[in-house]
Amino acid sequence: MSTNADRHPPDAVDRFAAAQGDDRRAAVRLGSKAGHEKRTEILFRDYADPDELRRLAGAIKQHALDHLDVYLPRAEAQLRAHGAQVHFAADAVEARDHVLAILRARGALGVVKSKSMVTEEIELGPFLARHGIESIETDLGEFIVQIDDDHPSHIVKPIIHKNRREIANSLERHGLGPYDDTPEVITRRARAFLRNKYLSADAGITGANFVSAESGRLVLVTNEGNSRFCLAATGCHIALVGIEKIVPRDRDLGVLLNVLARSATGQQLSVYTEFLRGPRAPGQVDGPEEMHVIFLDNGRTGVLASEYREILRCIRCGACLNVCPVYRQASGHAYRGVYSGPVGAVLSPLLAGSDFATLSDLPKASSLCGACNEVCPVDIPIPDLLLRLRDRAQRAGTTSVSADATPTVPPGAMTAWAEVATRPWAWKGALATGGLMNHLPQALRPKPLRVWGQNHVQAPWRGGAFRKWLAQRRRA
Amino acid sequence: MSARGAVNQSPPPRRVSLMATCLCDAFFDDVAQATVEVLEHLGCEVAFPEDQTCCAQPAFNAGEWDSARRVARHTLGVFRGDDAVVVPSGSCARMVDHGALLLFENEPDRPEVEGLAQRTWELCDFIVRGLGVTRWPGRLKARVAFHRSCHSRGTRYAESALALLRSIDGVEVVPFGEGEQCCGFGGTFSVGFPHISRAMGTLKIDHVLAVKPDLLVSADSSCLMHIGGLADRLGREMQRQHVAVVLRDALKSSGTAA
Amino acid sequence: MIDRSDDAARARFFARVSEAVGARPTKRPAPEYGDAIAFAREVATNGTAEAGARATASDSATAEERLARFRERLEAAHGRLFTDAGALISWLAAQGARHGYCDPVLAPVFAAALARPGAPSLTLETELERARIDDYRFGITRAAGAIAETGTIIIDDAHTSRRLAALAPWIHVAVFAPAQIHAHVADAIAALGDDPNVVWCTGPSKTADVEGILIEGVHGPGEQIALVV
Repeated sequence: MSTNADRHPPDAVDRFAAAQGDDRRAAVRLGSKAGHEKRTEILFRDYADPDELRRLAGAIKQHALDHLDVYLPRAEAQLRAHGAQVHFAADAVEARDHVLAILRARGALGVVKSKSMVTEEIELGPFLARHGIESIETDLGEFIVQIDDDHPSHIVKPIIHKNRREIANSLERHGLGPYDDTPEVITRRARAFLRNKYLSADAGITGANFVSAESGRLVLVTNEGNSRFCLAATGCHIALVGIEKIVPRDRDLGVLLNVLARSATGQQLSVYTEFLRGPRAPGQVDGPEEMHVIFLDNGRTGVLASEYREILRCIRCGACLNVCPVYRQASGHAYRGVYSGPVGAVLSPLLAGSDFATLSDLPKASSLCGACNEVCPVDIPIPDLLLRLRDRAQRAGTTSVSADATPTVPPGAMTAWAEVATRPWAWKGALATGGLMNHLPQALRPKPLRVWGQNHVQAPWRGGAFRKWLAQRRRA
Repeated sequence: MSARGAVNQSPPPRRVSLMATCLCDAFFDDVAQATVEVLEHLGCEVAFPEDQTCCAQPAFNAGEWDSARRVARHTLGVFRGDDAVVVPSGSCARMVDHGALLLFENEPDRPEVEGLAQRTWELCDFIVRGLGVTRWPGRLKARVAFHRSCHSRGTRYAESALALLRSIDGVEVVPFGEGEQCCGFGGTFSVGFPHISRAMGTLKIDHVLAVKPDLLVSADSSCLMHIGGLADRLGREMQRQHVAVVLRDALKSSGTAA
Repeated sequence: MIDRSDDAARARFFARVSEAVGARPTKRPAPEYGDAIAFAREVATNGTAEAGARATASDSATAEERLARFRERLEAAHGRLFTDAGALISWLAAQGARHGYCDPVLAPVFAAALARPGAPSLTLETELERARIDDYRFGITRAAGAIAETGTIIIDDAHTSRRLAALAPWIHVAVFAPAQIHAHVADAIAALGDDPNVVWCTGPSKTADVEGILIEGVHGPGEQIALVV
């Protein structure tokens, strides 16, 4: 249950943005902008109509969600038929317990992990550590985040907020060599360190980008080779998969793979696309002899049942983060959760369930510009979802108002405004007298006007002038 | 009479209703005035229902949907009928033809809302695609930076405005950096998230001024109010004008008085 | 060992999914789409539809055209193509990569090339010892196929003698025949088959996590070679 300590001022995202250092803001802005430009370039290079493709990919995912009761059991049956073990976890507790049970059964003391948002959602790493199992992040960005005790700030580029000097300092602090901020040296050091970890680990834990219901194949999309190593070097594979990752047929994977890497990093395909159907083939020495797939709910069925269902189409490409002007100013940490940017502003409050109020400021941290929907490879109507969430927050009376802060435009302000805007005589009266506001000293003006005045020279009040002109013109 | 798609060479006098917008009512009478003059030049008879107030977007965006529906119903009543409704604002037009449909999703009067949505036009879109006028008379020697406001996404508003601007003799429309990025107004966003709004606006001003335009033009007074007011606060010189005023002034230069 | 409580948990899980799916009034039907949309079309600089159609048609026409397209895309992803074992061996020697692993099935091909007069001296092991994994400067394995559209090499458990041989050494050489090259991603999807571990490799491993700067050779190979014979 949320307490007042979990509440944040309604402008928390704005305060975070303002307090951010210039270095960090610049790193995030430039990284995001570069990502967006690469996406635009390749999509328009390769497709006569990228929007047609986005709408198709969106229709495929929506269809899958709308029929998940058919496709999920189909995926399960295929996986079992090919030798994988399938588990179902209602929430984070069940998911973590499944993982622990599998690892205990193998006497595992150390695991290597590939990048997975779901494992962060359930806070798997700290849980395993509490149970004496070392869990090492192998994606370079996530590895740096782990040794720094930091949090990722982008769903595709976890250390978009860090520069090379910070990273070099982190490596030095953790005994990976004397300070050297050359990107190549940083990468080679991580390669050498992690190689030992792969080869001595007892299990590999991954997420999955997609699961085909037709064949049961899990699809993993990476660039570094870390997920391949997690699987090739260990004898046990555990995949944690949100139920929304299901896709109806293998051929639908073709469409989604064509848009995913282009949207995320401006590549036709990521360097490695793995299609996993079961434990290693007979005769193959390397690879898992056991494969476990844990399907996770953790609030997803609640979203599926709701009018926000479309957000579950998300394929985690990060394109919406890259184009979002608010994300560029605030950076991922401002969103206080695993998912940031436009997708985070919708998904995080929803997955919080009964703690919705603690994140209900996020949907308001948007000018509703719509750039996110324009770049989304599965055509999620994010601005409409943000608007619905604002309605929900207001109806439930759940604003994330903490004791010491009220929003600039307080709840109920619009009720008063509506009284005037539904009465023409009151409206005309307001037009006639509104200019008086300008004669109030700044300190006595209503808060919205004061805040506006800090950033703007106010336009002169001209209430009634147009109507007067028109009336005179009609008489002439 | 179908409201959309009619391309006439010499349009007969046609009655339209003007939705002036609350911002023009309060601050930008020149924009509403120019809109009337432009529409009359095109042979329209412009009705102005006096009881109009606001499209309800501020309450809708704030999530106060009960209040928004009250104001939207008032507007629905004010614009009842068959006339095309023309509005010099992309954001208000989008509220009427998209936002209102969400707002009234489960309401019994949704069909009426859809009816209004189908006959409401943003100004430039009405001129180009409603009346079939693609060349604008007059002369204006100017480097123009055109700000595509965010509500033009998913519509042809910006395309229509640009077609008209480019057709004016002497106008050169110059692109500027990061044109797809929002200016930072977003209604109550500008006062609820003032630091981010200011940073977004400043970036926009930097990009626009970098191409040294004579004039910043937009089809939305709200964006211009924010960008212009911020430029003034920052002490940066930024001439700006709504596209309706540019079109009206071009008429004057061609001696075609309204 | 099946835990009875798992059955009950599974039933509850599916009940929640069914209930959630049933809660919404509209359901999107499966979209129908032809193959064309799944193919990326290179639009020529003049951006015409004809250029796009030409590109789509030509790059699936003949094996030679597919090989040419594959080469272009592989090299764009910083991979390298060889069509002769001798040339590859000379390149390996030039890199200072004189010791590596080779799939025993392929060993005779390389033994023959190494036996030619003037050939550089390289040593090949046909067994991979995990404890000495960093001794192998290169790993030579068979591929299951390739994709012309993207310059992708397809490997799987059936064709790869040791997964680690295709992954751990700095240089990975994937060997396949021109007839195994698919034209498009969609074709490769249709040919996924039964293998439990199909991996599409498009160039050397890489990261841009440090300030967006591209570095190749992260956990996987720093050099991705295709030997097409």
